[in-house]
Amino acid sequence: MFPLKKLIILAVGLFGLTSAKSSTGNSVLVVVEAAQKDDFSIFFDGMRDQGYELTFRGPKEEAPLLIEYDEPKFAHVIVLASDTKNFAKDITPQSLISLTHLKTNLILGLSTKQTPLTSLASEFGLIPPPPGTPLISYFPKREEPSTLIPITPKVQDSAVLQSRNNHPIWFSGSPHALGNNPLLVPILRAPVESFASEVDGGSPDAIVDSADKGGEGFWAGSQLGVVTGFQTLDGARVTWVGGVDVFSDEYIQKQSSKRRGVQSGNRQFAHDVVAWTFQESLVLRIDKVEHHRVNTTEPRDQYTIKDQLEFNAYISKFNPKNRKWEPFSALKDLQLEFTMLDPHIRTSLPAVSGTPGKYSANFRAPDRHGVFKFVVDYKRKGWTALHSSTTVAVVPPRHDGYPRFLSAAWPYYAGAISTSVGFFLFSAFWLAGEVRESWKRPGKASKIE
Amino acid sequence: MSTAYAVPTDLPPSTVKNAASLLRIVALSLISGAAIASRLFAVINFESIIHEFDPWFNYRATRVLAAKGFYEFWNWFDPTAWYPLGRVVGGTVYPGLMATSGVIYNILHAINLPVDIRNICVLLAPGFSALTAWSTYMFTKEMKDPSAGLLAAAFIGIAPGYISRSVAGSYDNEAIAIFLLMFTFYCWIKALKQGSALFGTIAAVFYFYMVAAWGGYVFITNMIPLHALVLVLMGRFSDRLYVAYSSWYAIGTLASMQVPFVGFQPVSTSEHMGALGVFGLLQIVAFGQLVRSHVSSQQFQKLLQVSVVVIGLLGAFAFAFLTYNGKIAPWTGRFYSLWDTGYAKKYIPIIASVSEHQPTAWPSFFMDLQFLIFAFPAGVILCFRELRDEHLFVIIYAVMASYFAGVMVRLMLTLTPVVCVASAIALSNLLDTYIDPTEPTPVEDDTKSESEASTVGTNGSNAPAAQAPSGKKIKKAAAAVNVSGSALSDFVAATKATESGSKVKKGIFGLDVRAVVVFNTIGLLAFFVLHCTWTTAMAYSSPSVVLASSGPDGSQHIIDDFREAYYWLRQNTAEDAVVMSWWDYGYQIAGMADRPTLVDNNTWNNTHIATVGKAMSSSEENAYPILRKHDVEYILVIFGGLIGYSGDDINKFLWMVRIAQGVWPDEIQESNYFTNTGEYRVDDRASKTMKESLMYKMSYYRFADLFGGGQGTDRVRQQSLPKVGPTLDYLDEAFTSENWIVRIYQVKKEDPLGRDLKSANAFSEGKKRKRGKPTSRRRALVQ
Repeated sequence: MFPLKKLIILAVGLFGLTSAKSSTGNSVLVVVEAAQKDDFSIFFDGMRDQGYELTFRGPKEEAPLLIEYDEPKFAHVIVLASDTKNFAKDITPQSLISLTHLKTNLILGLSTKQTPLTSLASEFGLIPPPPGTPLISYFPKREEPSTLIPITPKVQDSAVLQSRNNHPIWFSGSPHALGNNPLLVPILRAPVESFASEVDGGSPDAIVDSADKGGEGFWAGSQLGVVTGFQTLDGARVTWVGGVDVFSDEYIQKQSSKRRGVQSGNRQFAHDVVAWTFQESLVLRIDKVEHHRVNTTEPRDQYTIKDQLEFNAYISKFNPKNRKWEPFSALKDLQLEFTMLDPHIRTSLPAVSGTPGKYSANFRAPDRHGVFKFVVDYKRKGWTALHSSTTVAVVPPRHDGYPRFLSAAWPYYAGAISTSVGFFLFSAFWLAGEVRESWKRPGKASKIE
Repeated sequence: MSTAYAVPTDLPPSTVKNAASLLRIVALSLISGAAIASRLFAVINFESIIHEFDPWFNYRATRVLAAKGFYEFWNWFDPTAWYPLGRVVGGTVYPGLMATSGVIYNILHAINLPVDIRNICVLLAPGFSALTAWSTYMFTKEMKDPSAGLLAAAFIGIAPGYISRSVAGSYDNEAIAIFLLMFTFYCWIKALKQGSALFGTIAAVFYFYMVAAWGGYVFITNMIPLHALVLVLMGRFSDRLYVAYSSWYAIGTLASMQVPFVGFQPVSTSEHMGALGVFGLLQIVAFGQLVRSHVSSQQFQKLLQVSVVVIGLLGAFAFAFLTYNGKIAPWTGRFYSLWDTGYAKKYIPIIASVSEHQPTAWPSFFMDLQFLIFAFPAGVILCFRELRDEHLFVIIYAVMASYFAGVMVRLMLTLTPVVCVASAIALSNLLDTYIDPTEPTPVEDDTKSESEASTVGTNGSNAPAAQAPSGKKIKKAAAAVNVSGSALSDFVAATKATESGSKVKKGIFGLDVRAVVVFNTIGLLAFFVLHCTWTTAMAYSSPSVVLASSGPDGSQHIIDDFREAYYWLRQNTAEDAVVMSWWDYGYQIAGMADRPTLVDNNTWNNTHIATVGKAMSSSEENAYPILRKHDVEYILVIFGGLIGYSGDDINKFLWMVRIAQGVWPDEIQESNYFTNTGEYRVDDRASKTMKESLMYKMSYYRFADLFGGGQGTDRVRQQSLPKVGPTLDYLDEAFTSENWIVRIYQVKKEDPLGRDLKSANAFSEGKKRKRGKPTSRRRALVQ
């Protein structure tokens, strides 16, 4: 049975060479307890269908390594072993962070237990509640225990969940408050009626008491996230899942207790989360940037002050369906800055209709020389951060680049001309007057007196 | 007529004349040779390398000029200097030096001598020192006679005060400026003497060259008008003065305005107003002379009184009005510090921080001029004896230059020529008197004999042209020349000599007195040569890019840390990696490492320098945003604590603090960097701010490790350092040179997870973060 499965994996893997959907690679390492592996078979099969090559590893197994010779071995890593306290020695919070530096995408599971990953979460700006406090909600009234909560994603929640369905997502596990790290991308928030508390000791009175204290230190409401993404400055994506059961076969197949026949939203949710985390959706890139004077095409190392400049950026979006980068003109709020220490010019960079993917701006260079940068800096939650910086020098006009004749300088021209003419006349008279030498003599004589 | 020693009598005057001029030419060429040779110590001891700091920029600019031509140089915008402000080099530089080298380079290449531009730059200063010697000769010849001129040429050729700025490799503006200074003065004197518009124009042309070469041209701009003014005030106004000054001023000022860096300054700044004022005054005085020749003297008296008052008032009001309206720029800070030595320290720390701008210490006068500084006043007094127009010039020059040299170390350079000239006059007088073979006729009336001083003094005019070309040839030449004293009178400055006739009343009797004085003088001269050679070799020939130390056995050990570090930067960093350092090293980094720098030795933007000072004196957390904003990738510090190199950044650190404090008094306070007892320390007792400053951390990072757990000692400050050194969170050590003089740090990128680097470091070292709580947003629980 087992070799057959391996064969299938291999076959899928080979197939995946042509059909994987991620823009960064298709090898995935799944760290999961061997006993739990079968609980997630639908999730895994879904990924295989997408074209990912899955490799499994128990949390305490030594191989395969995450990083070998400073190179990441996998493009993506999923840690579903959220209850494990002791990992193999190469899976540490520090090594997971260095994985993100190497642009490996991660899906990390948290649980109500205190694990190494809990302390790692706080590095990402998540604030986990104390151990043993799962998310609890008594609404809506249902047969399931209060810790198993159907969450209907809200429209405004996140761009990550594109394929919108209103089917509730079953969730059980630990929530987390969100810090003020701007790199966080909330994907799924806790329902407003929910709160984190010990399952048994959470008497309603205690909750009311702590709510009266002002909510401080109180994990409750829609400020909590249950699944939260994170995009590092290097471009790696990390998704924190408050409870890995959200991907389990059980929850995917579970139907609402009240309305029979309504499929849970978990399958679609898992698909969306994987698509975002593994760089399938919302992936942009700047193909190239150009700058030149208006009406020319050649870029220059340096421009003169007050030149009319044109800046073009070409932006593509990754299309996971055919694994192609396609020109993307839908960005409405792209900006260009022309910066030396501070932005001297900040202008919108609108898409050019007719040329897909091209964004263009025209502006006049400031009346200030220096080393400027064309900066495009586009950061939106969920989307790949676009950053481009091109350095050019802006110089004063050349010695012959100034206007040659100024009307304001006419007094000076007149002065120069009149002096020249005067000198000429003076010389002429002087030479002509030479014959009157005899007339001069007496004058000189009187001077001596 | 009796003589002290036998002189040949059968020589025709023309032979004597020819021999004398041949001897002078030989002496001058020997002097030139000595001047060039003594400046080559630096090349011989080290190598053909550009020295110090500013020359590195000049060298870099010259390479651009040689490679791209003059127009590209003129329009050169250097984006790597003053990053990110950039520097418009063509408009902010005195291009005379680079243009000179460029012309020499092109000429040599045109005649198929492929000389490297670096060698031209290195040897330019020695070459021009020979020309300086020649122009000093010409200048002094106008003052006294060719013999004094030769002495002056010899003095200026080897005087350490001038050598200090013109050794081979010291490729700085001063290298050619002193020649131009002396030659302009010579042309001015010549123009004044002859009333020649031609020489006035030549003076103007060289003045233009000087303006193009050195900011110190302002000295000429004020010296010549001052001389003219004094002449007018002494009632010595003449048509010669009028012609000389007017031609010099009109052409010189128009020409100087063609230099882009100077532009309209000659008509808009206060430093140049004196020249303009004197120009106006001369016109008025000349007009007054004209009027006087046409009206009666009584009317003229009244007219004069009224017009002087009116014109004076009008002029003063116009000046005040224009200054008030900002048409005439007020004096610059550097100029104020010339009058009040404490001014800079109080108001402009950036000027005060330059060691060249400190007041001169007394020993350096002797160091730079040796016995000339004692002969100098004698020469000035001798100028008073005759007091022709040109002597007034030397007197004024002596007074002004002495004052300025006392105020600022670097102005020692302008004092040196006048000291050489005045001492040459004094010494030449002395030698004239004592070598002159003519003995006075003994007089019966003893009362007529006067004091010894007057004997020496009058002899300058009485002695018939004793020639003293130089050192050892003195006797021969003097003997030869003396016979035909009257024949040579045509090129003797003291024309009165002919009047004295054959009856000599004053002089020296016998050979013994002569021998004592002459040998004493020759001894002085010999020791002067020894001193100059020693000073040049020991003190002024160090390139300061390469250091030398000698072992106990006298062997020389070269410390080449600077170049090691700069070449490391050049080889190992991205071409556009911005390097931050204190401004002293900006030119060297640009020249040798070819990397953009934040600030360099061209200190025109105080705020930008203060920004660097602030970054260096702040803690890491506060410095990091500044570094990121300026795209700094590497920081370079100079640390001498290991081998005892005292010119390091910790010793300059207080200047960084002061300059930063000048701009951000709320954030940086100098007092925080001292201990409670007001000491500047780096050991355990150093203040907290000091220990947390970026400069301290970068200097002493991992310094304690070097001592293997023992107590580390800073050998510059002689203090023991704490055993646990500082730690760095925002920087990585990238490079430390062999003797730890240069240390280079790399600025870390922002943490990819958006944490501050301190906590990121703490995490990667395994420290646990404190448990967080949700931030209180005070929002309703139910939306």
